[in-house]
Amino acid sequence: MAVEVSSALYNTRRRRNMVAVGLAFGATGFGLLWLVFILAELLWKGFSGLSLEVFTQMTPPPGGSGGLLNPIAGSILMTVLAVMIGTPLGILAGTYMAEYGRYDRLTTVVRFINDILLSAPSIVIGLFIYEIMVAQMGHFSGWAGAISLAVIVIPVVVRTTEDMLTLVPDTLREAAASIGLPRSLMIQKVAYKAARAGMVTGVLLAVARISGETAPLLFTALNNQFWSLDMNAPVSSLPVVIFQFALSPYHDWQQLAWTGALIITMAVLALSIIARVLASKRKTS
Amino acid sequence: MQDTGRNSVVDVAFEGALLDAALIDRGRVLERLRLRDAAFRHLTRIAAFAVLIILGGIIISLIHGSWLALSTYGIGFLYTEVWNPVTEKFGAIAPIYGTIVTSFTAMLIAVPVGLFISLFLTELCPMWLRRPIGIAIELLAGIPSIIYGIWGLFVFAPFLQQTLQPFLIDTLGEIPIIGNLFAGPPYGIGILTAGLILAIMVLPFITSISRDVFEAVPPVLKEAAYGVGCTTWEVVRYVVLPYARVGVIGGVMLGLGRALGETMAVTFVIGNAHRISSSILAPGTTISATIANEFTEAVGDLYTSSLIALGLILFVITFIVLAIARLMLLRMNARVGG
Amino acid sequence: MSLATFTTPTVNRPQSSAEGLSEKITVRDLDFFYGDHRALKSISMPFYQSKVTALIGPSGCGKSTFLRILNRMYDLYPNQRAAGHVRLDNEDILAPSQDLNLLRAKVGMVFQKPTPFPMTIYENIAFGIRLYEKLPKSEIDDRVKHCLQRAALWEEVKDKMNANGLSLSGGQQQRLCIARTVAVRPEVILFDEPCSALDPISTAKIEELIDELKEDYTIAIVTHNMQQAARVSDFTAFMYLGELVEYGETTQIFTSPSDRRTQDYITGRFG
Repeated sequence: MAVEVSSALYNTRRRRNMVAVGLAFGATGFGLLWLVFILAELLWKGFSGLSLEVFTQMTPPPGGSGGLLNPIAGSILMTVLAVMIGTPLGILAGTYMAEYGRYDRLTTVVRFINDILLSAPSIVIGLFIYEIMVAQMGHFSGWAGAISLAVIVIPVVVRTTEDMLTLVPDTLREAAASIGLPRSLMIQKVAYKAARAGMVTGVLLAVARISGETAPLLFTALNNQFWSLDMNAPVSSLPVVIFQFALSPYHDWQQLAWTGALIITMAVLALSIIARVLASKRKTS
Repeated sequence: MQDTGRNSVVDVAFEGALLDAALIDRGRVLERLRLRDAAFRHLTRIAAFAVLIILGGIIISLIHGSWLALSTYGIGFLYTEVWNPVTEKFGAIAPIYGTIVTSFTAMLIAVPVGLFISLFLTELCPMWLRRPIGIAIELLAGIPSIIYGIWGLFVFAPFLQQTLQPFLIDTLGEIPIIGNLFAGPPYGIGILTAGLILAIMVLPFITSISRDVFEAVPPVLKEAAYGVGCTTWEVVRYVVLPYARVGVIGGVMLGLGRALGETMAVTFVIGNAHRISSSILAPGTTISATIANEFTEAVGDLYTSSLIALGLILFVITFIVLAIARLMLLRMNARVGG
Repeated sequence: MSLATFTTPTVNRPQSSAEGLSEKITVRDLDFFYGDHRALKSISMPFYQSKVTALIGPSGCGKSTFLRILNRMYDLYPNQRAAGHVRLDNEDILAPSQDLNLLRAKVGMVFQKPTPFPMTIYENIAFGIRLYEKLPKSEIDDRVKHCLQRAALWEEVKDKMNANGLSLSGGQQQRLCIARTVAVRPEVILFDEPCSALDPISTAKIEELIDELKEDYTIAIVTHNMQQAARVSDFTAFMYLGELVEYGETTQIFTSPSDRRTQDYITGRFG
């Protein structure tokens, strides 16, 4: 005897489901909508100010015309330094966690703390570096800016290094040990090679992350309206210049702010795409 | 017969003698490598400690820097509203209030929307569309926060000023009691605007974590539910969500941690008013916005110290939230067996 | 403890053990523990020079565990320890003072799953050579060629020495791993189920290789394939539940085993 389906109950269930499905579609559309809005506005406003001058001229005084040469140079300089300082430290720490200390207490604690640092407010990192560097040195400097960015790079690199090295199969390690390879050489010549693509992806992601960071630079590297590559003095950076120009009442400055924002976004997107391509190449190899 | 290059008896004997010599040499080589081997191991250990030292350094330097303010004001710092650089009277309640309210507003919007997007991506979306939309969500996550900031200032705030805010004032603003929340002139900028921008910022984050968590639910469980005739919504509500609950909460808390600490997206549109208004349409301030706006202008040790004290409070709040989030995600992983 | 008492047979030993055969490795009263669990119980047996010794037994009997003690591979992991005596020539390899890297240079291992290093074919082999010796490139080239010839792989890869090791087929990869092991000039080679991941043709090639390699090396092979053990080995040890049940010449074990359990296993009653 077939079960009697209560049509009232069934219809209620169907209606509820349709509402939920509708909400799901709506939510997705809602999310995508904002992405389109933001990117469209960014492209529109940023593109109209894009010209050769932007890349060749210094930041102008209010009301004048100019470019973004010094902030771009300053940003690149500090980013490169931050990566050079933070990456080796991050890789070494991640190596300890995945290789030597895989099963020990220190690794568990470091992993926990590292994950918290990963999401820590970057303005607090800026305050930290201010206290230990700027206050001590008595002045703002590009070094302080680079190091505050390095502190943001480190947790990212630690996490990806540990994850990638853990993925290297133990049989590969045993194969290296079986020809008498000492542990450090096994890590350097075999494990790193095997995990290389993933680790590079991690570094790229870290670079993408710090490219847009403003808060930590606000009171470490400060800003500099002139051309200066002296790391011992305030150094200009793109995010800080955008901050300053956007909040100003001058139209030229606001336009440069939009263009600068476009440049940063394009750089971040390019890095993310390269990282993604590398990641998928690893999967197919 | 294939030439395998096998040695003759003479060669084997000769090689035997060479082998002994080679063994002694090998011993020497390995001996030399031993020092470098140990040095590398110690180096990695020190680097691991460095992570802990960074955390310790942050805490110590923040306490050190805020000591002046904390010892001057005591616990009253936490609930004083006045913020006057001239008379040097500082209180943290307005920034704390702003931080909490903007983050809360952001989560209120981002969590349901994010969960529904995850529902869409895991259950409803056709396969060919999944990857592009996933990538789009990640793009949204990758946009630096300062972009959200200037977009908010130049585009979103005026937009709200024209549309949503007058709407809210005219409708919800008329209801007694709750109406106070939506009172006041439509500034455009303000606490609500900041909360909305934060919501858009945190949305991709919540979406990607809850999507990962939803995908970790074993398909057999869902198939069992579908098999007895459950609708999509019922499967999600009665199977997926309960199973993934701990992970989702962990993800939500992670998003909350991000929202609490967010600076640039909020600074542009919060209005920078050091007071607590009853209306969320009014300007206010958050901890990070205060620090970002005032730190370089701060004159006087007490002023600077008060700002650092704000930073300390923010760090403590986010640390607690993030620690809980990580613990929950660890529990989820243990459960799934991952 | 003199060497004489050390070689007193405690399990079935063939009469010919005294005739022209020297013990390369001698195991006596070997125990092994995973944490508190005793996985190997009082194993004693020899591995004769230039002979192939097979370890057979049902899954979980401890044969791989036993093999991995001979080059102290278990040392890479916590909570695993061995007790007893294992002598390679005259050294107790279980002693804490034993240089592990040197031991593993003398006792090579080929694993169940072929694991070439993520390098070119040439580098896979040159890597091990370069680790211990400073040689000019031409000599390394010769040695690489020599090792690949010994592994019966030279003809197949001589034109693609710069290809990635992982681009070879499974059987070729395993022979590459054998060449890599030989490059370091060990005295003993351990094979841990080397053919279980390979097709029958590759398996036959590798069995042929083992037969040739035993002239210069002492070989121990773990296999779950009894026919393979019968084809390839000179001596066989049957293990069950962590114990050495019977040891003897392969022909004797397979035609007239002394222990009931050996008989049951060989005739397929279990395992």
